[in-house]
Amino acid sequence: MARVADPHAMAPAKAGPTRTAPPRMPPEFPLQGRYRAYTLFDATGAVYLLLGLLALRLVWALGSGDAAWRSAMESLGNPLYLLFHALAFASVLFVGVRFFRLFPKAQPPKIGPLRPPPQPVIHALLYAAWLAVSALMIAILAGGIFG
Amino acid sequence: MSEVRRRRFVVTRFDPDRDAEPRTQSYDVPCQPDWKVLDALNYIKDELDPSLSHRWSCRMAVCGSCGMNVDGKPTLTCKQALDSYGDEVEVEPLSNFPVIRDLVVELEGFLEKLQQVKPWILRAKELAVEAGPAKQKPEELEVFRNFSYCINCMLCYAACPVVANEPAFLGPAAIALGHRYNVDSRDEGARERNQVFRGEGNVFACSYANECSEVCPKHVDPAAAINQAKFNAVIDWMAGLVLPRGGR
Repeated sequence: MARVADPHAMAPAKAGPTRTAPPRMPPEFPLQGRYRAYTLFDATGAVYLLLGLLALRLVWALGSGDAAWRSAMESLGNPLYLLFHALAFASVLFVGVRFFRLFPKAQPPKIGPLRPPPQPVIHALLYAAWLAVSALMIAILAGGIFG
Repeated sequence: MSEVRRRRFVVTRFDPDRDAEPRTQSYDVPCQPDWKVLDALNYIKDELDPSLSHRWSCRMAVCGSCGMNVDGKPTLTCKQALDSYGDEVEVEPLSNFPVIRDLVVELEGFLEKLQQVKPWILRAKELAVEAGPAKQKPEELEVFRNFSYCINCMLCYAACPVVANEPAFLGPAAIALGHRYNVDSRDEGARERNQVFRGEGNVFACSYANECSEVCPKHVDPAAAINQAKFNAVIDWMAGLVLPRGGR
């Protein structure tokens, strides 16, 4: 039997005359069946938290002088860091694809006099924007822009 | 001609006068090939155990009474054919609701939430009868038509992980029905409902699991309604900040 949910979930403000059994969580939540993708989606937040901490560490190293910066850069070659970045990349792809799948239907039917384009067009625009921003970032990091 | 197939139904039982907590009871049911899940439950009630309690009424997926968890998934039992299940079928009351008895859940909490969103047309001034019917263009109807198909079957609440943990959350069906009126061209109550949407049971608690839409037997897509309602609630709040007299 599934785990017990919050005892007040869907309970009326005033209890009825009959004793009730407490509400239970959906049986497959959080790690089975169709909830797995949703839980994974939320769990990627932990990866982004670690990425943020890593970015802070690098900024700190940058402010601590040339030697500290070079040491920090060298440490990024550690296999554990490489594995973490591979995980972060997979997380970004997963979140992007899931977000783009759900994004079109969340658009309001009208914004003033304007209506959003059909869902396939929104999908295409999202992926095009993603590719364009990725290409721009690669160009900046490779020194093609501001190099 | 297809044969009768015997299936074992493992059904959750709960008698508030006798049971400390829900338990399960098994029944062997000779299932006809054209049966829905509800037919098997009615067979148990009529032929095997008259003490079993479950809700049902129309048998044609309109009244929304017969929602239950079948093999862990929120299901409208009068619509779901039995041939998609194996030799053992588990039937439980809907998740996220207090259980009154056996497969019957407490719906009063939902009705309280539904009333909060005022799911009816609100107008600053009622139209005179002599003015005739309030007309609507087909494209205006199209904006909310899907959301108006909700039959209050509560499957969306049973599938929602947020409902399980946030008792104040208005939930999928109530928000979908409130949003349905907010985008109805004849309605003038959006500001009032948006205040409810931003209030204690606010729409922003939804983390877009999308499960409400996956289980909806009428393809209402409450997840779309909730996320559109979030956008409108923010726009309405910003309009209140920047426009003269709050944009009224």
